[in-house]
Amino acid sequence: MTIPILSLSLITLLVGTVACFAAGRWARYVALGTAVAFLVEIGWMISQFTWAGFGPTGVPSYSYGETYAWIHLYWLNINYSVGVDGLSLPLLLLTGILLLVTVVYSWEEKKRPSAWFALVLMTCLGCAGVFMALDVLLFFLFWELVLIPMFFMIAYWGGLRRRYAALKFFVYTHVGSIVMLVSLLVVAFYSHAPSFDFSAMYGPARALALVPQVFLFLAMLFGFGIKFPIVPFHTWLPDAHVEAPTGGSVLLAGLLLKLGAYGLIRWGLELLPQGLLHTQPIIFAVAFASIIWGAFVALGQRDLKRMVAYSSINHMGIVLLAIGLYSSLGITAAVLLMFAHGIVSALLFMVAGSTHHAFGTRDLATIRGITPKTPALATVTMVGALASLGLPALISFPAEFLALLATWDGIGYWVFVPLIMLVVTAGFYLWMMQRMLFGPTSGIPEDAHDLSQWEAAAMAMLVALTILYGVLPGLLTNVIIHSPLFGLP
Amino acid sequence: MFLQDLASWAFLVPLLMVLSFVLVGFLGPYLKNWREGGWIAVVISGIAMVLGLLIAAGEMLSPGRYTDLHTTWISVPGNGTGVFPNGFSLVMGTLVDPISALMLIVVNVVGFLVLLYSIEYMQHDRGLSRYFAELSLFLAAMNGLILADNLLEFFLFWELVGVCSYFLIGFYYEKPAAASAAKEAFLVTRVGDVLFLLGIFVYFGAYATAGAAGGWAANGFLFVHGTNPYIPIGTGANPTLLTIGGLLILGGAAGKSAQFPLHVWLPDAMEGPTTVSALIHAATMVAAGVYLLAVASLFLGFTAADQFAIVAVGGFTTLFAATMAVVNPDIKRVIAYSTISQLGYMVLAVGAGFTMVGLYHLFTHAFFKALLFLAAGAVIHAVGTQNLFKMGGLRKVMPVTWLAFFVGALSLSGIPPFAGFWSKDDILSSLYGTLGAHPDYWPFFLMAVATVFLTAYYIFRAFFLAFGGDHPRDDSLPHGHDPSWIMKGPLMVLSGLAIFAGVFVFIPGFSNLLPGIGVPPTYTVTDILLSAMSVGLAGLGIGTAYVLWGNGRVFTLPDDSPLQSIRTVLLRRYYIKDAYDAFGQRVIYGIARIADFTDRFVIDGAIHGAERSFAGLNRRMRGIQSGVVLDYTAYVVAGLVVVLVVLLVIAPWLLSMWGGT
Repeated sequence: MTIPILSLSLITLLVGTVACFAAGRWARYVALGTAVAFLVEIGWMISQFTWAGFGPTGVPSYSYGETYAWIHLYWLNINYSVGVDGLSLPLLLLTGILLLVTVVYSWEEKKRPSAWFALVLMTCLGCAGVFMALDVLLFFLFWELVLIPMFFMIAYWGGLRRRYAALKFFVYTHVGSIVMLVSLLVVAFYSHAPSFDFSAMYGPARALALVPQVFLFLAMLFGFGIKFPIVPFHTWLPDAHVEAPTGGSVLLAGLLLKLGAYGLIRWGLELLPQGLLHTQPIIFAVAFASIIWGAFVALGQRDLKRMVAYSSINHMGIVLLAIGLYSSLGITAAVLLMFAHGIVSALLFMVAGSTHHAFGTRDLATIRGITPKTPALATVTMVGALASLGLPALISFPAEFLALLATWDGIGYWVFVPLIMLVVTAGFYLWMMQRMLFGPTSGIPEDAHDLSQWEAAAMAMLVALTILYGVLPGLLTNVIIHSPLFGLP
Repeated sequence: MFLQDLASWAFLVPLLMVLSFVLVGFLGPYLKNWREGGWIAVVISGIAMVLGLLIAAGEMLSPGRYTDLHTTWISVPGNGTGVFPNGFSLVMGTLVDPISALMLIVVNVVGFLVLLYSIEYMQHDRGLSRYFAELSLFLAAMNGLILADNLLEFFLFWELVGVCSYFLIGFYYEKPAAASAAKEAFLVTRVGDVLFLLGIFVYFGAYATAGAAGGWAANGFLFVHGTNPYIPIGTGANPTLLTIGGLLILGGAAGKSAQFPLHVWLPDAMEGPTTVSALIHAATMVAAGVYLLAVASLFLGFTAADQFAIVAVGGFTTLFAATMAVVNPDIKRVIAYSTISQLGYMVLAVGAGFTMVGLYHLFTHAFFKALLFLAAGAVIHAVGTQNLFKMGGLRKVMPVTWLAFFVGALSLSGIPPFAGFWSKDDILSSLYGTLGAHPDYWPFFLMAVATVFLTAYYIFRAFFLAFGGDHPRDDSLPHGHDPSWIMKGPLMVLSGLAIFAGVFVFIPGFSNLLPGIGVPPTYTVTDILLSAMSVGLAGLGIGTAYVLWGNGRVFTLPDDSPLQSIRTVLLRRYYIKDAYDAFGQRVIYGIARIADFTDRFVIDGAIHGAERSFAGLNRRMRGIQSGVVLDYTAYVVAGLVVVLVVLLVIAPWLLSMWGGT
């Protein structure tokens, strides 16, 4: 018999979450064990992965698929339906990696550790569910499940304005969720899909007339876009990041932003390709706006964490651009970029967290020349910044290269817009390094301490992955290309 | 045969240096007695040099041969549309051909000598393991670059050498000037890199679907695409795209090789250790731009418009940089401007279609320029200043260094039979030969000729200021002395190369690395007259320098001289760096500040305004923030339930009205 590996991995996380709540001061060990078990399951999935191809009616089938009837009432057919392909597997791997490093990084959490680790696991449970779910309602359930732990992580473990930031985060993303859900349900009902199952909606949704496709896609672009986030609906992100605890920021930037992009591909691009193709100018305009705005605002920041947050907006703009191209190159680039951004932004938010921890401030105008005092932190900062600005042999390079190549492939010389912004991106990271790492030391307390062993371990893992996938991006692209998306259009 | 078969093992050269990087980086701090691992780097780079020389020897024995080994890096299927309908594969591999064999010699010989020299030169500095690890990484990347067998791989290593340059310029990171120069170098070359990357796309696009060369896309855009490596693909591609691609590649090369208008970073890069200036900012990395142009001209081909642009940039830079060297008081910066100027010669030659001539000058220049820098380094090491006007009389106390600098200066000036003469003369005579067909090259030819005079003048000005006279002009300076053998050895080897490297091409086997150069030496009367003229100009330059600066003389312009204003402009580097700085600080950072303000108060403000416009929402929001965790849970769950119920019941009902079930 086949092992229901997807449900098994979700159950692993669920059991871990519950156990953490109950485990008291042993919670961190439970969390670590859960994270390792989950990673092993994901690793097994990837190692055994062969894409199932298209079914007889041209509907894509998914690997490790499981479908059980869940709620069948009158016309309402809701299934528990999960499955993965080359699009979701790298993101599941990212979920596992970030879960592990977050647990390690916050190993010495003092403030209600059992609740903290349970919420970390719950966030990852939600994300993993989103990446697996193939039923609208199941998808939405997991989608909303992510919001709750993140809300509490910001509101309870956050900084001074944590209440405001948590509520802003919640209101914004909830508005996005509602619009997203409405548009997904409208797709299901309006196309007379027999159920909310992805495969059941696939044929009817793609057969929808052009006008509803365009409007429904635009609604999804808004709904998923808030999570990206896209300009001008992005202002929740910097506030949420600045107030969130480091672990929360890592998950927020590393995973939560990917939910929007993943959703837009899985439920937007795949179900409504005509809608996407006819709204391309809007998508590109929004993507370019995010790329340019994110880069320039990041350059103007004094707070290290805000700077990284805005650079996320820039990078996710490139992801949106790659998705909007509607080509196999673009999709590959988008997924690779999501993975890369997940790893690198996690690293940079850890840097910001440790900076705050070590010096009591993240003000780039104050902290100068930390290298002699905290060499390990300085080294990791440098790797993170160089990775984020797209240095070869580090993970972002192949992703950005493919994204730019896909842009050239799709819309020609417009590629100059993201290309020129690479200079600005390099500019703010280099300027940050010049001020924070180099020059005479000043503005930091005498007793500033370098990374703790747990912080260092978590960052070292991310650095190692940054280099591994930077040198061998084929490890990921060879998974990504096994997806129904490559039967475009 | 053994030597020829070694080409398949070329990948070991960069890998050895990666090994050195890892060993020195991780073990160095624990090896205090071995110069923090410096000796490991020296030994491993020595092995890499021997391997590189043997591979090059193999190429000498098999003229015109190339060995290409590669493996797929990324492969993405296509979906039948766009520029790449059949998808895209990128490969990583090594290509050993005559010109990469030539570069293997340059990079690994200079690299090894500089590492050896550094053992003594850097001995009093902190962070030695960092220094040797970064230099090892640089050599790994540089070897990877010259062995790259496709444009993307080339770009990948190109960026890596750039970041190593960034680290090493900023080696003394506690000095604000070094930190700033490192950033400047990275940013300015980044502008070139962006152009280069777009150029790669344009080339890929030009060839992806082009008839005969359609196979180019299928095999991962390797440089070699036929039986003879040096035939440009050219055929079947869109000429407009080819021209644009060529111009963009020129932009990339200008960034790396510090050509106008992206030259500003190189003089400031002198904030790094002098050894780094010798290896990276004179002999190897900055020559990568020229190598790129050479590779592009051999494998991809330039259109006539590209060629004119390249000639113009190279020719203008040659003279432009030399003028700034004339007034500079800093010994390293004089040599740095000289590097920009000499790179201009190479660019000029490649642009005019004499790729091998350009590479010939690259080859000789690497040795005499590294020699000049290392000799200057010995001076700086001994007297502790870079200011020429404080030095003086060093000939007596540093005879070996004096001789080394003298050899380097003669070679740079183009005095026969020193190495620089042969290659520079070849550039001038080749270019002269094209003037009939390309009268528009005349101005750049004249600039190149005028530069011969300036070159001899500025380098001998520096020479006389540092070594001439009886005593230092600043008495407080320590009395100089020649360095030990660890530094003298490399100086002597490089002196030998600076004398003889020019005539290597007349050795039958060696000439296979530079096809078309050296044999047979068919000099016409015009050629000889041209050589006489350039040697005469160089002699005139040396003479002028002697009259003004020889024997400890210091020439000062009278204050009311009209030349003073020109001198100021030259010292301020034509105000170009000032303009760039102002652009960065005022314009770009200004935009960023405005963007930040807009983001906080306009975009976010609008959202808040909308929020307030819902009557009472604001008040209620405050009410919800009770701080009680259970309350939040209740709100979240309630919201979820309401949304689900409304959407599951009401929305389908509305839809059934709208769509009709």
